[in-house]
Amino acid sequence: MADNLWVLREQKKISVATLASRAGLPIGLIMEYESGQRSIDPRHLNRIARALYIEEADIKLRSDPRPGAAPLERQPSRDTPREMARPYGDRPPMPRPPAGDVRPRERQMRPRLEPRPPLPARPSQIVHLEGLLKRLDLSMADLEAQIGKPLSGLDRVAISALLKDLQAKVKDAPTPVRHRAYLPESVDEFEARYLAAAQAAGDHLRFILFDGSSVEGQVIGYGPYSITARQADGAEVTLNKLALVSYTKPSGNAGPEQLQ
Amino acid sequence: MSLGDYLRLLRAKGGGLTPWDIEAATTLPRGLYRQMEQRYRAIGDDASMEILAEYYAVPFEDLRWRLGWSRKALSRALHIAATNRTPITLGLWNGQEATGNVAWWDLGAVGLDTGGGLLLVVQRHAIERWDPRAPEDGVADADDPNDEDDD
Repeated sequence: MADNLWVLREQKKISVATLASRAGLPIGLIMEYESGQRSIDPRHLNRIARALYIEEADIKLRSDPRPGAAPLERQPSRDTPREMARPYGDRPPMPRPPAGDVRPRERQMRPRLEPRPPLPARPSQIVHLEGLLKRLDLSMADLEAQIGKPLSGLDRVAISALLKDLQAKVKDAPTPVRHRAYLPESVDEFEARYLAAAQAAGDHLRFILFDGSSVEGQVIGYGPYSITARQADGAEVTLNKLALVSYTKPSGNAGPEQLQ
Repeated sequence: MSLGDYLRLLRAKGGGLTPWDIEAATTLPRGLYRQMEQRYRAIGDDASMEILAEYYAVPFEDLRWRLGWSRKALSRALHIAATNRTPITLGLWNGQEATGNVAWWDLGAVGLDTGGGLLLVVQRHAIERWDPRAPEDGVADADDPNDEDDD
């Protein structure tokens, strides 16, 4: 059963503009079709149907106006006389001055502006300056001595030029060697050192595992993620460190009995 | 065990899932799960932990509690204990406790001198809690001045 064009379009969730674009028709024409102001031209029917991916027969040739919608105002056509097209056609047109009476408008001279006072340095410029001085290992006093005037007396433009100079100096300066802090948690050398000493000494260690069991054996190898031990019966076992809770030498009083 | 280590354990139990799988299966913002798991500091809020608690079917309070015991916080406590030569008590995953002076600590383990000159090596991922705790901003600078080396 045929349906209104606007219903079909809204079912497809596309705008009037999209439909017009897909069908290659003017938006205004689509709006007129939808409002029922005019019937769909048979030449356009196929294009609209294809744009909506429906059959031509699904489209009502003259749509019913959308309930509650204001009637669509028609745009004046090109051949409509101006008086008819004007909404206030009853008003006489304003008389135009004769062509010879056109006098050039007097140019209004703007008052000459006073020169702006110099702007103070931006806070970001000061921060940038401090950073550059730090990299150059200079103090504010050093810089003031170099330029021969206090920094507070420099305006935004002067500070900008100064920053440019300092940036060039920083670029030319040798890159300082970055000394990184020693971070124990970024290395695992302490445990590796302990295991290396235990392996070299042929120590036996007792390993406590997450499942509550324990393994005792001589350390014969280790890595970042595992430890290999030879048990008393000669069997070798590789323990994943993730399975371990702790380990220690079983002799003395440093065994698991120390754990409470 | 920190929240990150615990999440990693839960994911491993799930069998072969990646952080991206979990993000796809939940409504977590992109990248948050990976950060929660891998960052050493405490990452995550109640909303994200509620989502993960439901996903892994674990108590929310458990995740919330672990957020307060991050690897970073353990580093601070170990650093202070080692520097001040004060004993520290470590509460372990298996319910046991070990008390001693920190002989050394590193990425994976803590060497605890429990007396008698013999060393107990405790794996860091097995540590659930510790006492005393370090103040939040105590030695953070000494521990990680650039704040960029924690994962």
